[in-house]
Amino acid sequence: MFIKRASFWTFIYLALIVMGIFNLIPFYWMLTSSFKTEGEVFSYPATLFPQNPTLYAYSKIWFQEKFIKYFMNSLIVSVCTAAFSSFIGAFAAYGFSRFRFKGKTLLMTVFLSSQMIPGVLLVGPYFKMLSYVKLYNTLFGLILSQTTITLPFSIWMLKGYVDTVPVEIDQAAMVDGASRTRTFLTVVLPGILPGLVATIIFAFLLSWGDLLWALCLISAKAKQTLTLGITQLVGEFRTEWSTIMAATVIATMVPATLYLLLQNFLIKGFTESAVKG
Amino acid sequence: MKVHDRHKCYFFILPAFLLLISILGFPAIAAVLQSFNLVWVSEPSFTLSSYGRLLNDLEFLTSLLNTFIFVSTTVSFHLLIGLGVALLLNMEIKRRHFFRVIAILPWTVPDVIGGLIWKFIFDTLPGFVNAVLIRGGFLVEPIDWLGTPHLAFSCFIFAEIWRGYPFVMLILLAGLQAIPRQQYEAGAIDGASPFQNFLYITLPNLKYMFIIAMILDTIWECRLFGMVYSMTGGGPGYASQVLSLLTYKHYFQFFNTSYAASIAVILAIVMLIISIPYLRMTMRREI
Repeated sequence: MFIKRASFWTFIYLALIVMGIFNLIPFYWMLTSSFKTEGEVFSYPATLFPQNPTLYAYSKIWFQEKFIKYFMNSLIVSVCTAAFSSFIGAFAAYGFSRFRFKGKTLLMTVFLSSQMIPGVLLVGPYFKMLSYVKLYNTLFGLILSQTTITLPFSIWMLKGYVDTVPVEIDQAAMVDGASRTRTFLTVVLPGILPGLVATIIFAFLLSWGDLLWALCLISAKAKQTLTLGITQLVGEFRTEWSTIMAATVIATMVPATLYLLLQNFLIKGFTESAVKG
Repeated sequence: MKVHDRHKCYFFILPAFLLLISILGFPAIAAVLQSFNLVWVSEPSFTLSSYGRLLNDLEFLTSLLNTFIFVSTTVSFHLLIGLGVALLLNMEIKRRHFFRVIAILPWTVPDVIGGLIWKFIFDTLPGFVNAVLIRGGFLVEPIDWLGTPHLAFSCFIFAEIWRGYPFVMLILLAGLQAIPRQQYEAGAIDGASPFQNFLYITLPNLKYMFIIAMILDTIWECRLFGMVYSMTGGGPGYASQVLSLLTYKHYFQFFNTSYAASIAVILAIVMLIISIPYLRMTMRREI
């Protein structure tokens, strides 16, 4: 080898550090700005570190705005989406994994390709449908859309897990007299628990980060989700960046914490399903 | 064992099927009909006028070109940086776990939120980039990054390169870790250099994952909405407009619903064509 080992490793770590800086700059700027006073955040040229760190922006966002409402709405929508999508998805995944039937390949292809339809194509007509059935401006309408959007992904991911559970386990339970549904609920579901959790978290994260559907389906302030509420702050406050950054810190903290706590688990579930589909 | 309850498969699949038909299938068909002026108008009649209008709409053509430039640039950089970082993280480095966490972080930020952070970073007066450049003495007058057409579009591309590459990196890293060690050992016996190893062992083994990552990322970038909405809003003018945002504006701001539907149909057709190799590869593995 031409390169000396030491200089080779120096280069590797240098590259990793460059990557780290590139990745972290926006986080640095978001965090430091959220601790600046309103006066300082307007100063020019901007200070690179808060001179008088304060929690003012956080208290302002938390107590004066409808922020808690937005946060709770996001939480309700994401939790319900994650629960429905994973549960319904698990049923379908079991059906696809354990049964052979006519048109199975076609149906699976259709399910898989439905993931490729852009949201902007669906959201307009869906908005009209919701208006007809008086579900426009309700969290339920939003949850219904999010559940369906995340469903193909959930089915695909869960099918991979159901496939790993030996069919003999099902058969043993059924020989003992359990029905299909009972077998699925009491034997298969506990067997795919890690996959189920990973799917729940992914559906949660997808729903948490959504803007398009909330923007088009919700108009009442009290029903807005966190991402939608924050984009509206930009208009309301003009350039009160410290407040907005405090809000983005809170909005990012939820998904970032979930990732960091469950990363090994999520990466395994996600990459395996991506490899398979 | 014979399956005696074959009909039960419908019971398991039915809830998902009904949801997909009513919430995805119905609106998709309605959108196509709407683009031909067949539903939700006072006098339904088949017409291609929406599509005809597209050809003469400079904003649409610009958005189409922008989408193409945006998607091809971000996906290329995602693959390039993603492969680089995946290779780094696949080495015998110290603190691998720590570096992997750092590498994934940008992807944990919801795209709207990412757009807001970058909007602030590139802001003319209180922004980070101008502050660093002016304090470092590289600049006297601040640059209006997001107010200048070409710069705004480039900044938007840059921001999405930052946010999206960890996704590609994760898929490629999984691919790297699946390469059997024996192949490298065989390479070592034959006296292959590290570069030859990379060229003749790593790359061929990674081909499948590379294509999967490329197609999935292309699909994600084609339908990106939140970031462009919050970062530039398509502006200045329509310099950073992409098709997803243009569709939204026509549908929900200008109420040109059948025109909006025709734009979305074009986007959907492009995306479905791009995803065909992915669908075929996935289904082949499945059966």
